[in-house]
Amino acid sequence: MERVIVSMQDPDMGIKMRNQRLLITVIPHAMTGNDIVEWLIQKYAISEEESLHLGNLLVKHGYIYPLKDPRSLVLRADDSPYRFQTPYFWTSSKWPATELDYAIYLAKKNIRKQGDLIDHEKDNYNLLHKRINHTWDFVVMQAREQLRAAKQRRKGDRIVIDCQEQAYWLVNRPPPGALNVMEHGPERRNCHISRVQLPENTDYYKREIECCRKAMGRTRVKSSICLEGYIKFNEQYVPHDPIMSGCLPSNPWITDDTTYWAMNAPTVTTPTKLRVERWGFSFSELLGDTLGRRQLLEFLKKEFSAENLSFWEACEELRYGEQARIADIVDSIYQQFLAPGATRWVNIDSKTMERTLEGIKMPHRYVMDDAQMHIYMLMKKDSYPRFLKSELYRSLLAEAVMPPETKKRVFPFMRKQRHSSPSPALLLPTGEPEA
Amino acid sequence: MVKEECKALLDALSKVTACYRHMVLTIGGTSDSQNLREELKKTRQKAQELAVANRNKLTAVLKDKTVSKEDKAEFERLWVIFSTCMEILEIDMRRALELGQEFPLNVPKKHLIQTGMSGGTSGVAARAMSVQNMKYEAEHNIDVVDLKDLENEINQVGEMMYEMEMKVNVPQWTVEAKQDPGAELKSTISVGASSIGMISVEENKSFCDISKVLAGIIFSAVLIIAIVLAVCVVKLS
Repeated sequence: MERVIVSMQDPDMGIKMRNQRLLITVIPHAMTGNDIVEWLIQKYAISEEESLHLGNLLVKHGYIYPLKDPRSLVLRADDSPYRFQTPYFWTSSKWPATELDYAIYLAKKNIRKQGDLIDHEKDNYNLLHKRINHTWDFVVMQAREQLRAAKQRRKGDRIVIDCQEQAYWLVNRPPPGALNVMEHGPERRNCHISRVQLPENTDYYKREIECCRKAMGRTRVKSSICLEGYIKFNEQYVPHDPIMSGCLPSNPWITDDTTYWAMNAPTVTTPTKLRVERWGFSFSELLGDTLGRRQLLEFLKKEFSAENLSFWEACEELRYGEQARIADIVDSIYQQFLAPGATRWVNIDSKTMERTLEGIKMPHRYVMDDAQMHIYMLMKKDSYPRFLKSELYRSLLAEAVMPPETKKRVFPFMRKQRHSSPSPALLLPTGEPEA
Repeated sequence: MVKEECKALLDALSKVTACYRHMVLTIGGTSDSQNLREELKKTRQKAQELAVANRNKLTAVLKDKTVSKEDKAEFERLWVIFSTCMEILEIDMRRALELGQEFPLNVPKKHLIQTGMSGGTSGVAARAMSVQNMKYEAEHNIDVVDLKDLENEINQVGEMMYEMEMKVNVPQWTVEAKQDPGAELKSTISVGASSIGMISVEENKSFCDISKVLAGIIFSAVLIIAIVLAVCVVKLS
């Protein structure tokens, strides 16, 4: 905007200035709104609407201020006079208007108008008095001094200075309800950070080629297969999703009844039916659920392969445990599960066992990864299908609880019955909630 | 008395700061000129001298352990005023540098903003320097030459303020203002309240007052004619 303003000043190509006539004094350098609009149209070859908009922006940001009606910062494309703002008062985020300056301005205005400030200015004045109380004496001193300094100038200049200052503060401290141009949105990162130029020599290109080769060699899944899998997953899980299919007994957010959460807590004596069904979906679901894991342990004990699960759990502890205890944990795992003749020896194939024993010499968090994966796959392929077919699981399913839906109180004059756990998905297409 | 001296020094600094601010306002406008830049330079230097004098005096007093409690509170208040003044001075100096760089005077392609100011700032500068008339003796390109000095001085002021912060431990929030809101209205100096007040009133009503004034003039003219006629009648009869 500043460049536009400066180019307006050109004595040949700029705007024609007129004189503003006050009662006795004549102040130069005024222009009409029409002048501004026409100049913009001419200089930038834009339409009248655009030029009006641009001019409006200039006025709103304080580069030009109206002389006749200073409180309304709009550009009128007629004879209303305007003037340029002095560069000191240009809007700039580098020099934000400080509270101190505003206080000095209000104090000056107070002196000039003998206490007759506008409402919001009075409020601001009192607020500032409280806020910067420690320098209030300075504010008063400086206000007086600035007024005395201004007296040293010609009358015309004094008027101009007053107008300038008033316009500046109208932009920077607008009255409540007026548009505040100074409001910016959230700070965006500065895109002017210069990018480091890598030297484009043979090394650079070699690296690029390597990168592209690796990218080509990556395994890709056909989107048809991938989407099929996705659809299957969603179909399987939709009845289990509390938001999509409603949750029984009732949605706690609607009915303020927390039974749903109580019933689905990690450790509960009787799991819900949906939960037990989920254990059948995949091995990770079963292992991930505390209750499920417990039931699996019971089952494995009957099959005399409980050490697998214990080993797996111990490896998890190693992976996610404290750094200080790693050596200890590795040692205990070795003693319990891997040493020849250990009490709970796990059945790992010889290659993995060799590698693990090598790794134990320099223990770190991930030494047991191979062995753990082996045991996990063993459980998944072997024990898990048997678990699903077992008596234990079937009895669990039979005993599992299915809570009834709570009946919502129906107010006599309600048009629609509110169900206790409406599903938003069903709401949208039909427009009426179905249970 | 030390207190009076400190106050006087502080008043002088405040006066010079106000004048400096007033002059920085006009950079880039139509009343900008080489003279203005020279005035800025001189005022700035005067401000710095006063600042150093103030600082020395106040630090001496604040370090003095024999000062009574009320006096100490008073000096702390003066210190806070002093540091605020320095902050304003530093900001104005930085802005002067920036504006000076943006609006060099002797380059024909760069135009000054037509702000409507036509008079000079010599009166303000004279007030700042406490002289009757300003003498201008600098060369023609002082606006460019001065910028380097200005940068150095800004650094000096910055360092001085940093030192002040570090050496003197006056928490700003413990100082309470002596003046209530609206205290400035009770000042004995009318500060041209009438004249400047009239200007703003004039400003608003300027476009509709002309007709009223004309009516007033006509009315008074008629009155004068009537009085003259009456006197003539009395004399002739």
